[in-house]
Amino acid sequence: MFILGIETSCDDTCAAVLKDSQILSNVISSQIDLHKAWGGVVPDIAKRAHQERINPVIETALKRAKLTIKDIDLIAVTKGPGLAIALGVGVKAAVSLAVKYHKKIVAVNHIEGHLMANFLTNSQGKPLRPFVFPSLTLTVSGGHTKIVLIKKIGDYEVIGETLDDAAGEALDKSAKLLGLGYPGGPVIERLSLKGDSTFLKLPTPIADKKILDYSFSGLKTAFYYQIKDWPKVKINKHLADLAASFQSAVFATLIRKFSLAVEKYHPACLMLSGGVAANLTLRTKMRHLAKTYKLPLYLPFKKELNTDNAAMIALAGFYQAKRGDYANPNILDIDSRAEL
Amino acid sequence: MFILDISQNYNQVLRQAADLISAGSLVIFPSDTVYILAVDPTNQKAVDTLLSFKDRWVGKAISVAVSDVDMAKDYVQLSADTKNLYQNLFPGPFTIVSPGLHRLATGIEAENGTLGIRIPDSKYIHDLIKLLGKPITATSANLSGRTPNYSVATFLHPLSLKKKNLISLIVDAGKLPRNKPSTVIDAVGGEIKILRRGDLITSSSETLISKSESETGKIAQFLLDKAKRLGQNKPLIFSLSGDLGCGKTVFSRSVGKKLGITQKILSPTFVIYNQYPLSSSVYKTFYHFDLYRLDRESDFEEISFLKHFLPGTISCIEWPENMGKNLFQKIKKNSHLIAVNFTYLDPSTRQISFS
Repeated sequence: MFILGIETSCDDTCAAVLKDSQILSNVISSQIDLHKAWGGVVPDIAKRAHQERINPVIETALKRAKLTIKDIDLIAVTKGPGLAIALGVGVKAAVSLAVKYHKKIVAVNHIEGHLMANFLTNSQGKPLRPFVFPSLTLTVSGGHTKIVLIKKIGDYEVIGETLDDAAGEALDKSAKLLGLGYPGGPVIERLSLKGDSTFLKLPTPIADKKILDYSFSGLKTAFYYQIKDWPKVKINKHLADLAASFQSAVFATLIRKFSLAVEKYHPACLMLSGGVAANLTLRTKMRHLAKTYKLPLYLPFKKELNTDNAAMIALAGFYQAKRGDYANPNILDIDSRAEL
Repeated sequence: MFILDISQNYNQVLRQAADLISAGSLVIFPSDTVYILAVDPTNQKAVDTLLSFKDRWVGKAISVAVSDVDMAKDYVQLSADTKNLYQNLFPGPFTIVSPGLHRLATGIEAENGTLGIRIPDSKYIHDLIKLLGKPITATSANLSGRTPNYSVATFLHPLSLKKKNLISLIVDAGKLPRNKPSTVIDAVGGEIKILRRGDLITSSSETLISKSESETGKIAQFLLDKAKRLGQNKPLIFSLSGDLGCGKTVFSRSVGKKLGITQKILSPTFVIYNQYPLSSSVYKTFYHFDLYRLDRESDFEEISFLKHFLPGTISCIEWPENMGKNLFQKIKKNSHLIAVNFTYLDPSTRQISFS
């Protein structure tokens, strides 16, 4: 089955083509030079930006897969959660294609997409990963921090999630405190490599063992408080140490709660996904955790499958179609706060 | 002694309570905080009954509830500073102590001649005072030194028959939410002194102090109630400024909860804003904005920012400084906007100012 995936839940405009679970193409607007297509600067968070990018991105995805829209069997589009106006652009594009070319359409939950990212394969069908359930997934990004128990595909239970900020958001905001730009996560990661993570003593929030939820606002407060009176020169001198200390506190929290979840739910397999899963330090920590519990760990096989992409939406859509869970294109609408 | 349920025949119950209070009787009445002992504070016999019920020695003041500032002026001297306090904190869970005018029965004012005034955020009490045309005592319904009462049953349980006989009527409003008794503020010396800590602690007429998430939540509820009284002709907006991690999201979540939203309210930094439908007949939509990632004016146009603020909407806007002065002025002009500012006093204490 050929699936066209469309994802516009936040900043990036994405389209991908899959043959079952094999990625034939995976286009993310920020990674291709679409500027020439219309010229000028592209605003980041704008509806217009998505509107201008969506068609070239879909065309590029089809072209790279060496297919035309006529070859597509199924269209999968993100319905939410995400930024309402951005989601609307993707859904509108998907619906108009589905109606025009009489294609079946499925409305995919963005988080389910992240869960499925670990089962994407290359065009040779590699890596071959058996489904092992129940599996426990930590999905962490700028917008989400969730521990999800996957009982089987389509049957999910969110057993822990953030009560305030997402982990990626906390990293971004700490970057801002240090005078670094947005998005700050990758900068924090780079700086951390050269820094001493024990430089600053920071609390690891919600220490209560029974609670699997996350909270990062206390950590932000503590961080802010420790450096608020520092002169700029001092902050700059210790930039790497500060970044490393904060990142380490965030990851320690992520790992601690995830370990508790493993002990409580006894999964057969562990997975990591979401934009922050691209962070090598977090991946190392997760590998270590998997080793401790002697469990297999799945990570998306390519870095760009961690962040928002349409391939994961297409794969989630593929399984959703197998369940017969199609959408009616005439009434398909976004759901900006969709729950898993 | 008899008990009347306020949810049945509201006007009749109120009328009966008013008649009994006028006649010098002691009535137990529900308030915005706890059950109170209501008598006519101008009637010496009634006040004596109250004092003997409370086991309280004369000289320790009994607070008095009034309907508005004008009624307060008949009983206390109000300085310009105190008027400001009234303006910002009333109606709400506060008692403000000022120099008394000695027009009440002995035992109401303190020995030093001061008097504590309340304007509770309670329709019941407001209506009762209107009906009486004069204040009522508003001391909490417990014996001196005992814990306050949130239900009629816990109030009655430890009372002796003799005490019960002092009560003419109990107006039952069921179990009250567990709000603490009011915060007592002494503003006599010009400087604010907190005599008793309630749910909300203030350090000036425009600032409240929070030491925990739940206190920030209570402050959010207080400001929401206040904002609602500004009218429904314009959208209601809370602009929330302050440093990272100081409670802006907690504040927004509490506003949302108070509006009846049952879903989780999370930081919308990533998605810029979240929209929640409300089931209230007056307010239709709650918006939770976080402008953290927006800085160019074009960004705001792209999300049709201004179009969201219509009458019947309530919005919390985090990082409002990112919208720039022009846009802020535009919004301010066409809405009831409460600017809330969060600052750290120390790692566990936030000062929340509002205007």
